[in-house]
Amino acid sequence: MWCIFHCYTSLTCLSHVLLALVIGGLIYFLVQRSKNQVLTTEDGWWGSGAPRDAGEDDTIRSFRVTTSDQELEDLYRRIDLTRPFPSLEDSQFNYGFNSQYLQKVVSYWRNEFDWRKQVDKLNQYPHFKTKIEGIDIHYLHVKPKKVPEGTSAVPLIMVHGWPGSFYEFYGLIPLLTDLSNPHNLVFEVVCPSIPGYGFSEAPHKKGFDSVCAARIFHKLMKRLGFQQYYTHAGDWGWLVTTNMAQLEPKTVKGLHLNFAPPSKPGLSMALSMMLGRHFPKLFGFTDFDIQRLFPCMEKLVVESIKETGYMHIQATKPDTVGRGLNDSPVGLAAYILEKFSTWTSHDFRNLDDGGLTRKFSLDDLLTNVMIYWTSGCIISSMRFYKENFGQGLDAPHAKIPVYVPTGFACFPNELMHTPRLWVKQKYRKLVTFTPMDRGGHFAAMEEPQLMAEDIQKFTKIVEGKVKE
Amino acid sequence: MLRDKKGNKKKSLLDLSVAAGGIMAYIVYKRKKPRTIPLGDGWWGVGEKTLSEDQKIYPFQVETSDKEIEDLYERIDRTRYADPLEDGKFHYGFNSTYLKKVVSYWRHEFDWKKQVAVLNKYPHFKTKIEGLDVHFIHVRPPHRENQKVLPIMIVHGWPGSFYEFYKILPLLTQSHDGVVFEVICPSIPGYGFSEASHKQGFNSLAAARIFLKLMERLGFSQFYLQGGDWGSLITTNMAQMKPQCVKGLHLNMCMSNRGFKVLLSLLIGPYLPFLVGLSREDVRRLFPFFEKNVFEMLRESGYFHIQATKPDTAGCGVNDSPVGLAAWILEKFSSWADLKNRDLEDGGLERKFSLDDLLTNVMIYWTTGSITSSMRFYKENLGSNLNNRVDFKTEIFVPTGFAAFPNELMHCPKSWAQIRYRNIQSYTFMPRGGHFAAFEEPQLLADDLFNFVKKVEKS
Repeated sequence: MWCIFHCYTSLTCLSHVLLALVIGGLIYFLVQRSKNQVLTTEDGWWGSGAPRDAGEDDTIRSFRVTTSDQELEDLYRRIDLTRPFPSLEDSQFNYGFNSQYLQKVVSYWRNEFDWRKQVDKLNQYPHFKTKIEGIDIHYLHVKPKKVPEGTSAVPLIMVHGWPGSFYEFYGLIPLLTDLSNPHNLVFEVVCPSIPGYGFSEAPHKKGFDSVCAARIFHKLMKRLGFQQYYTHAGDWGWLVTTNMAQLEPKTVKGLHLNFAPPSKPGLSMALSMMLGRHFPKLFGFTDFDIQRLFPCMEKLVVESIKETGYMHIQATKPDTVGRGLNDSPVGLAAYILEKFSTWTSHDFRNLDDGGLTRKFSLDDLLTNVMIYWTSGCIISSMRFYKENFGQGLDAPHAKIPVYVPTGFACFPNELMHTPRLWVKQKYRKLVTFTPMDRGGHFAAMEEPQLMAEDIQKFTKIVEGKVKE
Repeated sequence: MLRDKKGNKKKSLLDLSVAAGGIMAYIVYKRKKPRTIPLGDGWWGVGEKTLSEDQKIYPFQVETSDKEIEDLYERIDRTRYADPLEDGKFHYGFNSTYLKKVVSYWRHEFDWKKQVAVLNKYPHFKTKIEGLDVHFIHVRPPHRENQKVLPIMIVHGWPGSFYEFYKILPLLTQSHDGVVFEVICPSIPGYGFSEASHKQGFNSLAAARIFLKLMERLGFSQFYLQGGDWGSLITTNMAQMKPQCVKGLHLNMCMSNRGFKVLLSLLIGPYLPFLVGLSREDVRRLFPFFEKNVFEMLRESGYFHIQATKPDTAGCGVNDSPVGLAAWILEKFSSWADLKNRDLEDGGLERKFSLDDLLTNVMIYWTTGSITSSMRFYKENLGSNLNNRVDFKTEIFVPTGFAAFPNELMHCPKSWAQIRYRNIQSYTFMPRGGHFAAFEEPQLLADDLFNFVKKVEKS
């Protein structure tokens, strides 16, 4: 009996060891697999009808933003035809854009805003268009005037979001392409418009999501002669550039973001939500993290529900919601500028004027609105939501982590606050994480100086490592 | 462990009295549970409440002018269309290509002056209640002799209006076995020709109280109620506020509670429906639950979400663009008649409705500029958690009838409705029809209403 018992225990021991090896091997294999997991994609065609047999026209054409008397007269006529409906007594911005304040903005737009002057401002940087995958892609290409001896400018692609545009970066571009500080790197900046936004042609086929935009932007950079480059982005640009890093990790030298909502909550994130308030140090939570995240129900769930109506309807019925906005410039302005108010600070909802001009000038805000108005792109810009959310949370790119060096600029009033732990869940090579003193969702436009400094800091570290 | 006989007797007596006490306490508790909700009061006009209010009822006529029509045409001609996605159908919202056809009809063939005459065929009135001008039509049956004339108020919803009932009104004002209705159709304040509230907080409870005051002012002490969409919530509130006035409540939409009973029936329902009070037809309409109810709800409730959070923003553009307004409203008449309409190039819009009827409803929103205030109703009702509101915790004891249409947005089985509606006299599975029941299937709805009312009148 003792013999059998002895044999049995040895066998059990052996089987336990074997099991451990198998499990260990499996884990190792999975980890290795995810490390090597690259996002794959197929080619696309977004023009109308079927792709032509002859090769695509890949010339790069100069482009200038233009306007006309007719365009302005049409705008003014429509503004004059507005039928405002007064907001409820004492409701400020809690029901959306306050009607009484909207009339003030519109009066400025009608009587003082100078679109021709703003068009000149837009044209201060060189614009181009080129056809990729059947659609015209618009972009700015800003080369620095001077580059220090023996170096070359660092290529950087910056991608906007919704309801923004390439114009958001106009305060940031001079800081990056300027050589006044000898200790700073100098960048060569490319700012495209996402297809369906502004001067980029809208896709004619269904299914144009962030991965397609990422693929097209890679093709753009290659066409411009860049083999490796950095990226900077927020809002939708965050997802497009993240996809770029997932598609071609060797091409993207560094990924700089100011927005990184977790696409798939992982174990550490879930644990931190349950225990973070009581054991902040365990999760690396700062006082500010606690303030912004807890109580979770109110700060994460309720706040999100209050502010995501636009996302819900754009992700389901973009053609319906954009319809009226493409005829009514005032309606379009209310829809877009509401975000520039609330996403700069949630407290602005309690102000009669939504705090709109505290961080932005009306000229800048209206220039951005005019880009949507004159190009008539509001509907196609909204479709991007449906195409991206169409797959729910199960898109392939949501499951693949990012191993490209990443820098995150954490602005205090960003829509979704992501502490370091949550960012690291996806961006495994987090090189810099900078808590900023001030700024909200449209950080590049609001705080270009702070943003430029952080991009410098991040890029220097990555370049330094590369040089090593 | 061991007790003497005396102790046993004492113990059982104690147990009995405790049980009896418990039962009595439960009965008392049940009786004490509120069977009505407080009436409250309100003032929704501009500025401070006036000392006295003008209670007169004024006749009203819908009017139009050349100027109004020219302005509409100018805006239609200025529409800036965008190409739809190839093969998008109605999955991205209202299809642009089909929209052009609807708009072309609107611009060149739709006769608004003729439709205004149609609207005016019933007598309209306005009267001031709680600071707001409340609009309604009052339709008396043409023949009253030897008939039982029953007063009824029918309440519309969003994006409908009193006009939805123009097909059912002739059926209701015609005798059915000696029973005939005298119909009051108000417009919810903020919709159509009813003045919009100037103060925050105007929710279904306020609307219910105003409509009760209206019926009182018209001299009705007892009446029936019928409603769908917001109308079903408002009429339910009316029955909760003054059950003694409401002879019967007929609904074609029911907002069911969430709760343990519902959850249980969702889990067990597909397998043992009869165990949880679900019939075969209930199962057919409810399951697969996630696909049919959760995902579909998510796909279709974007408008709900934005209207319940940012109505002023959402209403702004559509109040300037008639085409935008038409797309926003008519998209619902497509999907809510039948969700399968989304797979059609033309959204199946004209299968159940005529363009004249659809555009007349849109014109009511357009000419009154009431889209923004109509949207605010969502925020006012859903601003705070609806499940915590007093009316959602209070049961309804007034005789109730349900007409369950197969393509209604969310099916509510009788067993779920019974959680709060404690006196269901009739529950009918309708053979066809969707959300806009009165508009789509007036005959079916009228028949069910008459059957329900006859049942209530007999008892």
